[in-house]
Amino acid sequence: MISGYLITILITVIIYAMLAHSLNIITGHAGQISLGHAAFFGIGAYTSAMLYTEAGFPFWISVPLAAVVAGMVGALLAIPCLRVRDDFLAITTMGINFVVEAIFLYIPFFGGAMGIGGINLPKWFGREMTKPEYFILILIVFFLLLLLDRQMGRSWIGLAWASIREDDQASEAMGVDVIRFKVLAFILGSAIAGLAGGFYAHFLTFIMPQNFGFGQSIVVLCMVVFGGIGTRWGPIVGAVILGILPEISRPIMEYRILIYGVLLLAMMRFQPGGLLGPESILPKTFRRYVYLLSSSE
Amino acid sequence: MALLEVTALSKEFDGLRALDEVSLTSEEGEILGIIGPNGAGKTTLFNLISGIYPSSGGEISFRGKSILNLKPHQISRLGIGRTFQIVRPFQNLDVETNVLVAFGHRFYPSFWKSIEPFRQPEILKEVKTLVEKTGLLPYTKQVAKNLPLGFKKRLEIARALALRPRLLLLDEPSAGLRFEESAQLMDLIRQVRDQGIGVLLIEHNMHVVMDLCQRIVVLDHGSKIAEGSPEGIRSNSLVIQAYLGKET
Amino acid sequence: MLWQQLANGISIGSVYALISLGLTMVYGILRILHVAHAGIYALGAYVGLFSFKLMGNFWLSLIVGMAGASVAGYFVERFLYTPLLHLPRIAPLIVSIGLFTAMEEAFRIVAGPHTLAYNARVGLGDLSIGGFHLTETQILILLVTMAILIFLWAFLTKTRTGLAMRACAQDPETTSSFGVNVNAIIAVNFLIGSAMAGAAGVLIGVYDNQVWPTMGSIPAYKALAIVVLGGLGNIPGTVLASLIVGLAETFFIGFLAFPFPRDAVAFVAMILVLMFKPYGLLGKA
Repeated sequence: MISGYLITILITVIIYAMLAHSLNIITGHAGQISLGHAAFFGIGAYTSAMLYTEAGFPFWISVPLAAVVAGMVGALLAIPCLRVRDDFLAITTMGINFVVEAIFLYIPFFGGAMGIGGINLPKWFGREMTKPEYFILILIVFFLLLLLDRQMGRSWIGLAWASIREDDQASEAMGVDVIRFKVLAFILGSAIAGLAGGFYAHFLTFIMPQNFGFGQSIVVLCMVVFGGIGTRWGPIVGAVILGILPEISRPIMEYRILIYGVLLLAMMRFQPGGLLGPESILPKTFRRYVYLLSSSE
Repeated sequence: MALLEVTALSKEFDGLRALDEVSLTSEEGEILGIIGPNGAGKTTLFNLISGIYPSSGGEISFRGKSILNLKPHQISRLGIGRTFQIVRPFQNLDVETNVLVAFGHRFYPSFWKSIEPFRQPEILKEVKTLVEKTGLLPYTKQVAKNLPLGFKKRLEIARALALRPRLLLLDEPSAGLRFEESAQLMDLIRQVRDQGIGVLLIEHNMHVVMDLCQRIVVLDHGSKIAEGSPEGIRSNSLVIQAYLGKET
Repeated sequence: MLWQQLANGISIGSVYALISLGLTMVYGILRILHVAHAGIYALGAYVGLFSFKLMGNFWLSLIVGMAGASVAGYFVERFLYTPLLHLPRIAPLIVSIGLFTAMEEAFRIVAGPHTLAYNARVGLGDLSIGGFHLTETQILILLVTMAILIFLWAFLTKTRTGLAMRACAQDPETTSSFGVNVNAIIAVNFLIGSAMAGAAGVLIGVYDNQVWPTMGSIPAYKALAIVVLGGLGNIPGTVLASLIVGLAETFFIGFLAFPFPRDAVAFVAMILVLMFKPYGLLGKA
């Protein structure tokens, strides 16, 4: 039988993969640096948690609503973010992360430093889901998200995004409403992060503001950078590797944060494209194999 | 009614007057040359017309309607295409996809249309025609960054043509090209003109200018100093002075 | 009471200036947000503390702390930033964030997670005039920062290297065409800016009598907010912004009715100013 510990790791990895994937939509497609992505993760988690504990909404409603709320906040924040130049954007996203975390921490309505507890796994068929069942559930949702991503990649929206990523000024000269498509990427990216947050809240059963601060944003960023910004599978590969490694190796777990920092540093310094990027050290044949699995354009 | 009417257009950057009350008109099926020494304001003019810069005064109207201070993508959709002085193809996309991006201008505005897949047979056929016309057919699936410069320039034009423009702004298309490549490009531009599309051409290569253009406008230090036929411009003393430098 | 608050605000503000100036100088010349600068700040505190433990003299520890920070800053520029200048600016930014994260962890692993005491005494004693009270450490802060800032001003305005640095910040290409060794100027820029951050680390370490691994976290973003507030790359703007934030923190927290996190003041000030002056108080497009 699959051990409970293994299932816990797998569930965590899928949630991180969702998060990394959602950040990739913003950085890879809209080409916007986001150093505060954990904020949307947190907004989703808290929304779902509060709808469940305060308003009695079941999981099946609270989690989708969490995605919607996170998406709406993403839309609101996208406008100032897009007005602002590259460097300011980095600071702005960091600032957003701090503000959101501070709101959860200082405003008593959100439970303060103690956070929110008593969030349960979803109920179905009259009983609470087991962890393996929860795992299957979010795995299915994740596959649906990947399918959605593939469809978008084949659509005019995906084409617009690809052109924006290459050269947003040239793209605009070719008739692409760059701002509109960037906002769309923002909304989608933050909504999926919110979804991941909802899944996270119901799995962990309690959440605290510290889970959603700048440190968490760095972890997600690291997964995306490590796997390869803008590649389809990079962030997911990054999430899987960086999610599982600390669990199977005690020393890695101890020095996890140091490793994240060094990894970010080293990747950007020597392999800015990430593991699945164009100049990776991974053997070309392996990368072509992965590319063939995922290519559609 | 002229295709493009620029009236007393000005542009100021931090106190520097890059363009000072420039006026010109452009007609359909005509190649209008824009020449002048470096720094005269030629690319600035293009950037104003295509909406990349906001203006500091004056008026621009296209087919009778003002396009002043519209955003670049709106101007592209109205029918003005442009190429860039330093080519900017979408490097990691292939030729076909590059052109498809510009083709999408009909679909982008509507959410429901834009979620449709873009590789539709009818659309791909139109793209193929365009690619063929610009002589890029053998390179259809080539990634843009691997193309030699001459073909990158053709790609720029093909992309701009995918917008179904009535006016095409070409910024130094023959720069960096060898003589034969230049001649081929000139043929392409003539074909474009023959379709009734108006062309505004910035060029430094005088052979190209004198050969292609019906009319020429000369800019220097942000102002228009001469306008006329190629022969007239060639012998205009103001123009010659501007290029050779003023005598003290 | 007012004078007391003023003195407190100015001493805090001047330390902020020491940290933020390095940040703004790096941005001015390389257009990089040097997030790891806060790590250099903390490194200065640790190096200063350990040399104080070895030698027992505040001034020596200050100098060693500044030197250590300075050298570290130089290595960061040489091996991490300069090789990446050809990439989009997100690359050095992420490198900087990674470095900062790694540095904080390294402090924790090497020096331990606990707060260490940095109780340096200079024998000056406190100053009390009526209801106005300056502690010895506050006097030290004011003296040291004043000295450093005066040195910086003199360096930038009176020396050739300083002039070259200002020219580089405006336009590196033209400056190099005048025969200026831009790489050397960049190195000097980092050396000076990091030394100042190291000094700030030592001063704060002594003022709070605390040195701990994540002491750079709050200055990391606070300095960014200050630099943006004053105008990215603008030196007088940064000094002005630092003082404003220092005074605002002191006054608001002193007089405000509801509990407002003190460290958020910098961000709030930044957002307020950006709404009216999108490039900061003294910044230009």
